[in-house]
Amino acid sequence: MSHARAAGAGRVLKDPALTLSVLVLWVFIGLFILLPMAVLLVGVFSTDGRLTGENILQILSDRNQIAAFRNSLWLAFLVGVFGTLLGFLFAFTACRAGVPRRLTGLMDALVLLPLVSPPFTTAIGMIFSFGPRGLLTYHLLGMKGATVYGLWSTLFSEVLTFFPIAYLALKPMLNAIDSNIERMALSLGAGRFRVFRTVTLPLCAPGLANSFLLLFAASLADFATPLILAGNAFPVLPTEAYLQITGMFDLKGGAVLSFVLLVPSMLVFFLQRFWVSRRFYVTVTGKGAGQTPFDSVSPAVGRLLGSFCAFCALVIFYLYALILFGSLVRALGANHTFTISHFRIIFTEGRKAIRDTLIIAAFSMPLGGLYGVMVGYLTARKKFPGRLSMEIASMINYALPGTIVGIAYLMAFNQPPIELAGTAAIIIALYVFRYGATGIRTTIAMLQQVDKSIEEASESLGASSGRTFRRITMPLITPAFFSGLGVVFIRSMTAISATIFLVSINWTLITVRILENITELSLGPAAAFSVFIVVVVFVVMAAVDAGMRRFKSPGGAQVASVLGG
Amino acid sequence: MNAVEVQVENISKRYTHPVKGEVYAARDVSLRVKPGEFLTLLGPSGCGKTTTLRMIAGFETPDTGSIRIGDADVTRLSANRRNIGFVFQNYALFPHLSVFENVAYGLQVRGMPDAGIRREVGEVLELVGLSGFDRQFPAQMSGGEQQRVALARSIVIKPRVLLFDEPLSNLDAKLRIQMRMEIHQLQRRLSITTIYVTHDQEEAMAVSDRICVMNQGRLVQDGTAEDLYHRPADSFVAQFIGRVNMLDARVTAVHDGKLEVEVLGTRLRLRNPSFRPAPGDPVRLVLRPESLDLERSRDQERSRDQERSRDQERSRDQERSRGSEGPEGRVVSRTFLGEKIEYVVHCGGENLQVVSIDRGGDTHPAEGDRVRLRFYEDTIAVLEGRKR
Amino acid sequence: MKFRMKAVLMTAALLAAAVLSPLAAAETVNVYSIWPENWARPMFEEFEKATGIKVNFVRFSSGEALARVIAEKKNPRIDVLFGGPVETHAAGIAEDVFEPYKPPVFNRLEDRFKHKDGYWVAIADDPLCFMTNNQFLKDNKLSPPASWDDLLNPAYKNMLQMADARTSGTAITRIFSVLEVYGRNEDKAFAYLKKLRPNVQLFTKSGGGGTLPTGLGQAAGGIFFIVDALDTKAKGYDVSVSFPKEGIGAAAEAIALIKGAKNPALGKKLIDWASSAEMQKHFATYKINFVPANPDVTLEPSLAAVLKGAKIIPIDADYAGANRKKMVDRWIAEILNP
Repeated sequence: MSHARAAGAGRVLKDPALTLSVLVLWVFIGLFILLPMAVLLVGVFSTDGRLTGENILQILSDRNQIAAFRNSLWLAFLVGVFGTLLGFLFAFTACRAGVPRRLTGLMDALVLLPLVSPPFTTAIGMIFSFGPRGLLTYHLLGMKGATVYGLWSTLFSEVLTFFPIAYLALKPMLNAIDSNIERMALSLGAGRFRVFRTVTLPLCAPGLANSFLLLFAASLADFATPLILAGNAFPVLPTEAYLQITGMFDLKGGAVLSFVLLVPSMLVFFLQRFWVSRRFYVTVTGKGAGQTPFDSVSPAVGRLLGSFCAFCALVIFYLYALILFGSLVRALGANHTFTISHFRIIFTEGRKAIRDTLIIAAFSMPLGGLYGVMVGYLTARKKFPGRLSMEIASMINYALPGTIVGIAYLMAFNQPPIELAGTAAIIIALYVFRYGATGIRTTIAMLQQVDKSIEEASESLGASSGRTFRRITMPLITPAFFSGLGVVFIRSMTAISATIFLVSINWTLITVRILENITELSLGPAAAFSVFIVVVVFVVMAAVDAGMRRFKSPGGAQVASVLGG
Repeated sequence: MNAVEVQVENISKRYTHPVKGEVYAARDVSLRVKPGEFLTLLGPSGCGKTTTLRMIAGFETPDTGSIRIGDADVTRLSANRRNIGFVFQNYALFPHLSVFENVAYGLQVRGMPDAGIRREVGEVLELVGLSGFDRQFPAQMSGGEQQRVALARSIVIKPRVLLFDEPLSNLDAKLRIQMRMEIHQLQRRLSITTIYVTHDQEEAMAVSDRICVMNQGRLVQDGTAEDLYHRPADSFVAQFIGRVNMLDARVTAVHDGKLEVEVLGTRLRLRNPSFRPAPGDPVRLVLRPESLDLERSRDQERSRDQERSRDQERSRDQERSRGSEGPEGRVVSRTFLGEKIEYVVHCGGENLQVVSIDRGGDTHPAEGDRVRLRFYEDTIAVLEGRKR
Repeated sequence: MKFRMKAVLMTAALLAAAVLSPLAAAETVNVYSIWPENWARPMFEEFEKATGIKVNFVRFSSGEALARVIAEKKNPRIDVLFGGPVETHAAGIAEDVFEPYKPPVFNRLEDRFKHKDGYWVAIADDPLCFMTNNQFLKDNKLSPPASWDDLLNPAYKNMLQMADARTSGTAITRIFSVLEVYGRNEDKAFAYLKKLRPNVQLFTKSGGGGTLPTGLGQAAGGIFFIVDALDTKAKGYDVSVSFPKEGIGAAAEAIALIKGAKNPALGKKLIDWASSAEMQKHFATYKINFVPANPDVTLEPSLAAVLKGAKIIPIDADYAGANRKKMVDRWIAEILNP
């Protein structure tokens, strides 16, 4: 082993470009990932300078907080199960139920909607639709006294918001299964359902486990939806942490609460990263693309599945239409005269928020894309001491719920020596090191499609590793860079759970304004902001997509989804 | 351009297998390639030939040992400083660059001015038969064409050593034969020291000046194709190169520098091998299919073709007189292949492969016939016997 | 792009962003406003018109605003904390985040509209009230609640919304109103709140959070500040405003100067202006239903009509400030989630 290590270290010293990049990355990672976490941990585990666990114990003995912890886990579990189910249903219908290609394209677009929208959109729609005087419950169904707050509405809203993650993870997997395997089973006499049960489903098992974990993590971290829909009877941890800080001005208490969330989050992250994703036994051979997909179900069942998906799509569409409607009428629920005053408000009073958000997004995009590509490339292709540590460290901010990261940043950068609180830099840093990390995985995945021998060929022809990266690798993985850009942009337009702690006098964000508007019950402007975000995100994503297509060189690797993983 | 020598001394490479533990990819490999020579590393997959090649290229660093290219010790030198040309199995063309750009790449790295690059690239493309393909992209080209681009790219930089890693494995049979000839001729023309890796022994024998056979990380034998074929160092080499019948025999006597052995009930007098066995020792005989011949057993013969030209019979007898008569057997299978006929003869509990040249006439045994085998003793090699 | 260049670019970009950030114009005062945007903004615009000083502000609810001010104690980012129920400011004094300052009108203000040492002054008064949805009242054949006990009616089960004491000053004022009604007897007051609990559908983050649901009929009603209630009515929702005969509290809305503020002079100017008739005469103009604290401003007639006959109990700021934490903790333990 020492031979290899010595060789690795020797290689680093001989390659100045490599050394420099590694050092620079470590500096940034240390500053913006490790330092805040350390400060958080110190804050959690110390009181008045002593090392102690009493903060944790205090929280763990508080009835309300224990309930919040339990609720968070339970909700996350349910979201994981139902969301995966729904996502699988959609993916299955799109790939295997004989749905025509046009419709699957439509499904893709519609399913994307919850992923790219600002927080609260489904929640607001639900408040209007369900509840004692809800559009659906009262006006349509004549139910009296229906309540909209609590576990089930939060679950419903979160499932609708997060199931696209499962869909995006499962669809390429289903597509990649060599349908000859299923045809083989069919030729051996198995009925369609048996083929599904014994062949298709087992092959999807890792994908299903993966989706479950992703959704579990997403729900665990969700701050926005429960804030609106959970009510007081169903507290959850991210919201409690937020309330602890902002309501009780108890930064330490908030930090401790978010720490409790850290444990399950990291567990889920490690499970997903190091166990489940290693078990994928469906390899993308590229041959699958040309084949006609296998019809796993009879046409009748296919139509049934299709109708159910159409119904779900309709629900999503309805909720968004409601938002659009709310942005265009004077007072949703009371005064339905048409007006553009809400849009006028957001472009005058809300101008600062729009400007600030777009500026921050503009800075974060390239930095985040670059971060993802650099770390991905270095950890996937180069050997250097501490490579695995860097890979893990770079993902920490992404793996954790936003509340934790936001609190950690607030604690770490609030005072000298590094005082970034109140600046745009802190928000940009948050975005880059949290959302840029998705680019790491995408880059690694793309690099797997670029055979190592191509870079070795460049090396053999005399090129240094810097030149090889610049002229050979980079052009071949630009889709990953663009994908990283896209993700960072979407997230910077729609993030709230971390950034809510970091807005200031000088820099404010549209999502925080939406929350304020909802709190102040100016639903018109809140809806108008939401519509604005959705439109902007779609436009920019279309541009990024076009950019990806233009820059994709013949023979460059493919990227299935701009949203990465 | 002066060709350089490559000297590899005792290089080893270890790695840790998740199940098997510490495994040697290459173990104490030493070889010397003379300037301008075409050396092939030959062996089954996993034998260490590619690892060795990659260590010479600089893609892997040996754990022990040294590598010299020309006067320089390059053992720890990174690949991009060794001035080598490497041709990959999957060509490794840069998919986003055109043929011209691919070939020009190495020259650009070396800072050659554009005019010079254009000239050199033009020349080398003509050399490999791809003039006019400048603007094409790899994805639009066939396997053979891509291989030529890979070749052109590597030789245009005038490397000191050319390294090939199973370059023809991905091509179909006919193309493989054609390309290997072209590579062979090109190398002759350019006189670049070349190290070639393949698992195909026929290919190795067709192109190489010398072959190194490797097995399980070790270099087993180093020699010309003839050396390997007629004087294999061990059973592995014997069985790897060409087809062979391996028979156990026992030494009965040693005299006149010849070894007398008994095999399948027949006494044969063979060349005495270097390890000098004693009477009573077990040995293993390497019988190539063409070391054996067969004729229909006398009784069978008489029942057929009574009218045969006297000339044919005489020439036949002359041939047969070169060999010793052996045991009888039965023809199990017979395959007519145009210029030769392949037989499998069951004899003494063994199935022996025999090859016979067809010189015309219809006197060849058919399936099921009883035949008598002949041994051509000069072509039989002797190896150490199997330990009981 | 070489690695080197990339690294340099990254650092440069982050630095640039950091530097870009505090773009304050020449004369700007930085403020956290607890008043919602649509009320704070017109006031600040008037201030700018009158003095030429720009106001750079961000809106937070009272709990959040105080939390931030305390967190930023060592390095305050703002100059003035604007608006918000007075008990928020009272709590802040204990944390030593304010600088005493007495504007010109100080001596003429009622005692409950100022802190004796000048840590805060009131810029408005805001009574609580009951607000109920008219459709709900009609359906259940009820009149607008005229007593605290009316809210205990089982018809309201799970239909009331009111503020969460962890984040909202409205809730604090509400709790202290109940305390005053029960003669500051904590146990009796909390007994009432416990009886009320089953009728509460949701404790909202902000004080006015329940007004829209009430207007829409999602909730039957709640206890809100009069500004929020009348605003809902003005938007067109069909609601009624009423007062309990036992009396209900009012909380003064205060303004305070931050200790260590970077622009203390500008902050003082804002406080001067806000506590004077100059600002408070605009309440009527912009239809903001605060009761002015400045004695020179007359109460707007329609607001006066609404408040006519209502028994308003002023909440003693010192008493509230001293007992806030105790009451909130008890509320969390006994009322929030029994």
